[in-house]
Amino acid sequence: MIKTNQKFFSSFLAIALLALMPLGLIAQQPRRTNATTTAPAVQTKGASQTEIPAHPRELKFADLSYTPPERDKYRHVLSNGAVAYLVEDHDLPLVNVTTLIRTGRYLEPSSKEGVAALSGGQIRAGGTTSKTAEQFDEAADFLAANISSGIGDTQGNANLNCLSKDIDQGLALYFDMLKNPRFQPDRLALAKSQILQQMERRNDDTTTIESREWNRLMRGTDHFSTKQTTKASIEAVTRDDLVAFHKQYYQPGAFVFAVSGDFNTKEMLAKLETSMRAWEASKATISEVPKPSFAPVAGVYTVHKADVNQGRVIVGHTGTTRDNPDSYALSIMNDILGGGGFTSRLMSRIRSDEGLAYSAGSDYGLGVYYPSDFRASFQSKSATTPQAVGIIMEEIARIRTTKVSDEELTTAKNSAIEIFPRFFATAAQIAGTFAQDEYTRRPVDYWSTYRDRIKSVTAEDVQRVAQKYLQPDKLVILVVGNIDDITKSNPDNAQHSLAKIAGSNQIRRIPLPDPLTMIYPQVP
Amino acid sequence: MKKISFCFLALLVCAAQAAAQKVPVQEMVLDNGMKVLMVPRKGDPNIAVGWVARVGSVNERPGITGLSHLFEHMMFKGTHAIGTKDINANLQLIKEMDQTRAAIRAEEQTLIRRARLGEIPGSKDPQVRTARHRELIAKFDELTKREKETLVKDEFDRIYTTAGASGMNAGTGNDFTVYFINVPANKLELWFWMESDRLLKPVFREFYSERDVVHEERRLRTDSTPTGKFDEQFESMFWQSSPYGWPVVGWPSDLEGITREEALDYFAVNYAPNNLTACLVGDFEPARATELARKYFGRLPRGPRDPEPVRTQEMPQQAEKRMVAYAETSPQVRVRYHTVADGHRDEFALGILSDILNGRTGRLYKSLVLEKGLANAASAGQDGRKYEGYFELQGTAKPGHTPEEVEQALYKEIEKLQKETVGEQELQKVKNQNAAGDFRRLQSNFALMVQLLLRDSNRGWETINTDPARVQAVTAADLQRVANTYFKPENRTAGIYYTKKIAATEEDPLLAGLDEEEKSQIRQMRGMLGQAKIEQVKAVLTQVTQQGASAPAEKQDFIKVLKKLLEDRLAQLEGRKK
Repeated sequence: MIKTNQKFFSSFLAIALLALMPLGLIAQQPRRTNATTTAPAVQTKGASQTEIPAHPRELKFADLSYTPPERDKYRHVLSNGAVAYLVEDHDLPLVNVTTLIRTGRYLEPSSKEGVAALSGGQIRAGGTTSKTAEQFDEAADFLAANISSGIGDTQGNANLNCLSKDIDQGLALYFDMLKNPRFQPDRLALAKSQILQQMERRNDDTTTIESREWNRLMRGTDHFSTKQTTKASIEAVTRDDLVAFHKQYYQPGAFVFAVSGDFNTKEMLAKLETSMRAWEASKATISEVPKPSFAPVAGVYTVHKADVNQGRVIVGHTGTTRDNPDSYALSIMNDILGGGGFTSRLMSRIRSDEGLAYSAGSDYGLGVYYPSDFRASFQSKSATTPQAVGIIMEEIARIRTTKVSDEELTTAKNSAIEIFPRFFATAAQIAGTFAQDEYTRRPVDYWSTYRDRIKSVTAEDVQRVAQKYLQPDKLVILVVGNIDDITKSNPDNAQHSLAKIAGSNQIRRIPLPDPLTMIYPQVP
Repeated sequence: MKKISFCFLALLVCAAQAAAQKVPVQEMVLDNGMKVLMVPRKGDPNIAVGWVARVGSVNERPGITGLSHLFEHMMFKGTHAIGTKDINANLQLIKEMDQTRAAIRAEEQTLIRRARLGEIPGSKDPQVRTARHRELIAKFDELTKREKETLVKDEFDRIYTTAGASGMNAGTGNDFTVYFINVPANKLELWFWMESDRLLKPVFREFYSERDVVHEERRLRTDSTPTGKFDEQFESMFWQSSPYGWPVVGWPSDLEGITREEALDYFAVNYAPNNLTACLVGDFEPARATELARKYFGRLPRGPRDPEPVRTQEMPQQAEKRMVAYAETSPQVRVRYHTVADGHRDEFALGILSDILNGRTGRLYKSLVLEKGLANAASAGQDGRKYEGYFELQGTAKPGHTPEEVEQALYKEIEKLQKETVGEQELQKVKNQNAAGDFRRLQSNFALMVQLLLRDSNRGWETINTDPARVQAVTAADLQRVANTYFKPENRTAGIYYTKKIAATEEDPLLAGLDEEEKSQIRQMRGMLGQAKIEQVKAVLTQVTQQGASAPAEKQDFIKVLKKLLEDRLAQLEGRKK
């Protein structure tokens, strides 16, 4: 609701953007890399005299050869076993340190849901054994150092960004936080109060409802990824739980570091070693991320929310994992279907042909630890929601039955190949990408073979994977919105209806749960 | 490998002297008035490129609110060369579509008038349309189909995507409209070709379906979010005469009425090169870019006249304004004061004031959240726009406390700023943060490109190099002075958001009027009825009817609901239609 004081970004964030922001548009940091590039040849000869061609296809472009950075050039193994990726970049007097910690929400004991997120947050917010939370915050703020910590589904993170001249003081604070969190009780009480207040608002926003119910429809209620915190589970978490969680999982020998910016590699390695010296830590084995055992049930599901005028819809089913050899063809297939922005079929038909939605698209999830899901989604006014669902069904059928055009295939493949250098656009991205690969154990040849694998995808491959991995009989359709209005027939377009889409199956209604207990009332 | 050379001045964070950096921008102005800013930086083979039109919703007037934003959408629809197989046939159809639309508009005007007089309930219901109106709509749909046959769909986007460009997008604000993309280093000429072509010969295809898309955008951002509608009202209430009072996305009635002719008039003045600045940051040779800029942007004709600054100024506020909303959100309060526009000498002090209040060690968090335990979150910010500005404080009440208590606590903090001087250490802390922020802002080519464009759209790109010193020059006396100048009760607008009670009534109108215990009994009963047989339901119903008659008056509502539940279930079991 309120604007930040960073003037330009405040107005920038407030602007109404034209389309779905491509991932990380604002966050991306395109800048120098240490990768080898060959700059395009400068063609100055009479360029301003030459005619402007009638169409850009007549423009000639110099070749651009690009070799991705080599992982091993930046990889270092520390004496305690931790792995660090260090990428120097001296353009600005800043240093960025990220630590990946092998932990996650998946390790929470049952009935203590929330302990992972609370631990992650309180490591930063709750002070250290030698500094109260107030003293720690003042020290970090006076240094103008940004220090953060958090624990997500399958990973813990901690970050330091400070001026390079302050790196020693910055690292001292940062490692003090990682190693000796104080977990100050008043800060924990405050965090719990904030979480409980947010919890009450669980049924307010259709976006929140949509993603929660979708995850439940895909992976049931037993998988860690769909477990919900409740008032009882948050209240059950004690300071001792946080101490235990930290002790068990913050094992420096299992850390993966990504360090980039204005430093000397040799010196930085020594600083990391010193920072972790004499850190007695647990060596307990950390279990693997569990896979869901739930089979989604196809059909139409609705959640009623009275005072919104748009239906939010996801259509989809279980997807696959990223180590699937078909993943490259799947990415191209999805790009053509709905992943490729304006040029994709769903965007073109739902948005630009019919004006039914501001954004429409699809994503073929390639999970790291377990199959993610395929989902096509949009938001449209109540009256036209069923019509747009119909278009998604048609397009899923079409990409299975008909080969994609050469033009579509070329667009999708070229884009994937040409955009490739952007993965390593900055020193922070190089270090971050390799650290993430290390953490998730991605095959080392992934980046060096990526473009060739994309190049080899054919129209036949696209159709084959569409037939194999898009399953019309397994589609789950979730509609969140004013269901009374959405099920009313559209006076301007009566042939579309939810009932028709459901066919002989009944439309199942999902009630809104009690936000504090997550108990769902019975549907009459 | 050449590298950018920032000039680092004295970087002494703990002393009063602070860091400053100079972004080495190469500026050129074309004969037609268009400005081009270049910042070559070697790195990955890519260039962040964009341009800004110095026009936004503040330049609109009643009747065409939302046009700047709608226009931004239309700029992706192609040109004479891009987006069509047959430009002449396409233009002819567009002409016919406009004529048909004009006739439809006349019909709509009649309906709007009839609705205004109460003759029909609303103008939107298809039932109230005349036969001629329906014919015109059918004709228009037919023309739309024929137009589609002349199109090459989304060719503008496809050309960029195929070339490996990424992040193509645009944004409209109150004061600016900006268009941007990242292109591979060898595709620089493509960018010049595409952008100059859409500025020279745009074709606003699919104008009317794109208007529908903007309606959906409005529904998505404003209508269907928990506080969107109330935030919009707050904004309109805050501004009395300034055009900042209408939303960037526009009022729905204007969106429906805007015509292509109005869009074209708007384009001629506001998208002329003398109202534009372009910017390139990344891996390119300035000499080559200069040459391409002259060749491509140089062909744009200067506009018919220079756009005029906005004439209507905000009237000084005379009395406090207040909004009380019931929304599906946590109880919260926002308080806003009229202050100064972007770049005013007091703006830097107001910015520092917000830093003093914000963050983990800021005064709001320390006082309202930690010490008093009144709020779970609180923040403040100065927003200086091109013509006016404001300072806003916000707080979310902790359960057990009211937005009004939080509001009073915010006023206490303001009073403190007015009466006491901010300490040296506290001021230095936020100056250090600003100094570090000056570097962090430059980490991304893309972010730098956007900052230079937005700055140039307001006060000139040079301010990226001159503002940091003005921030560092702010004194504790300045802070106290601005706090006393602007934070006056008659100059403020407060918005109170209470949590709207929805609970079970939204799910089930049957339960309205019952107390919590009764509701839970009804829910239980409903659960049990799911498995009950006809005979059981009948028996319970008889029992309830008999005993209900002798129940106390305050229980009669409960009995009524219970009976209704049983009767409905019985009807269902007996297969009767309700």
